[in-house]
Amino acid sequence: MNQRRVSREALRAMTLDTQPWLSCDECFDRMDTYVERLLTEPDHTDVAMTTHLNACTACAEETDSLLALIRSDH
Amino acid sequence: MTTTGGDELTHRTTGTAAETDPEDWVLALSIEGPEQDVALRRLHGLLIRASRHQVLRMRAQLGGADAARVEELANQSADEAMVALLAKLHTFEGRSRFTTWAYKFAILQAATEVRRQAWRSREVTLDDGEVTVDRGPSVEQYAEAADLGRAVSRAIHQALTPHQRRIMLALVVDQVPIDVLAQRLGTSRNALYKTLHDARVRTRAHLAAAGHLRAVTVSEGVDR
Repeated sequence: MNQRRVSREALRAMTLDTQPWLSCDECFDRMDTYVERLLTEPDHTDVAMTTHLNACTACAEETDSLLALIRSDH
Repeated sequence: MTTTGGDELTHRTTGTAAETDPEDWVLALSIEGPEQDVALRRLHGLLIRASRHQVLRMRAQLGGADAARVEELANQSADEAMVALLAKLHTFEGRSRFTTWAYKFAILQAATEVRRQAWRSREVTLDDGEVTVDRGPSVEQYAEAADLGRAVSRAIHQALTPHQRRIMLALVVDQVPIDVLAQRLGTSRNALYKTLHDARVRTRAHLAAAGHLRAVTVSEGVDR
């Protein structure tokens, strides 16, 4: 059995509170409307989305990327 | 560039000089004929733009891929995104601009492809070894983190199933991209994220029962 050395950041990631639940598929479904809302209402909050994006690095990268692309279109 | 009401579709004059984006993308893409051909070309252009944008964002992961390789990946991803989008065209409800909705398909496809390419020659091993904490900047911080680390190690070994433990360690500690792990295990990103979510819920419950959840919460506050 291997012994893994983990960073404090990894410990934090292992114990994140990921409620309310949102799946990656649901995140993808909401991503376009979420990004457009952020552009028109910077204070817009969607707790389920922000919780998911804080916990899923892949979805977070893709949402940040979409936001950057839409910004570059404007 | 102008926008219309209704579906808020964007008219573009870039690309083929005589062609513009359709007023109603869904309609134009759905009915066979010359307008569909134009719409398909315009859509493919949008998808290439988005997939190129994504590949360039992640280019460092590809070990200095040259421009030709970037274009190859962008085109391949756009083609696959096109298939995925057209299969879901009927689900577009106009809650966002069509272009924004289309972009996300290309971004997802390109990001997934780059992650897979970046890991194609790397082995992924799943095991559920012990967890120890890296030394922090001070003795006090190390002691605090080591104590939390022991508590988390106990929690994941006592509260998680072997499958949950292996998935959590691979994704969080070994930082295997979720798409790569999904591909290697023949499952989906969605299924792996659910496993990770359940593992986190169980870990937190175990820590709470052992009186360590406050330490986790404090740690979250410090790290943010």
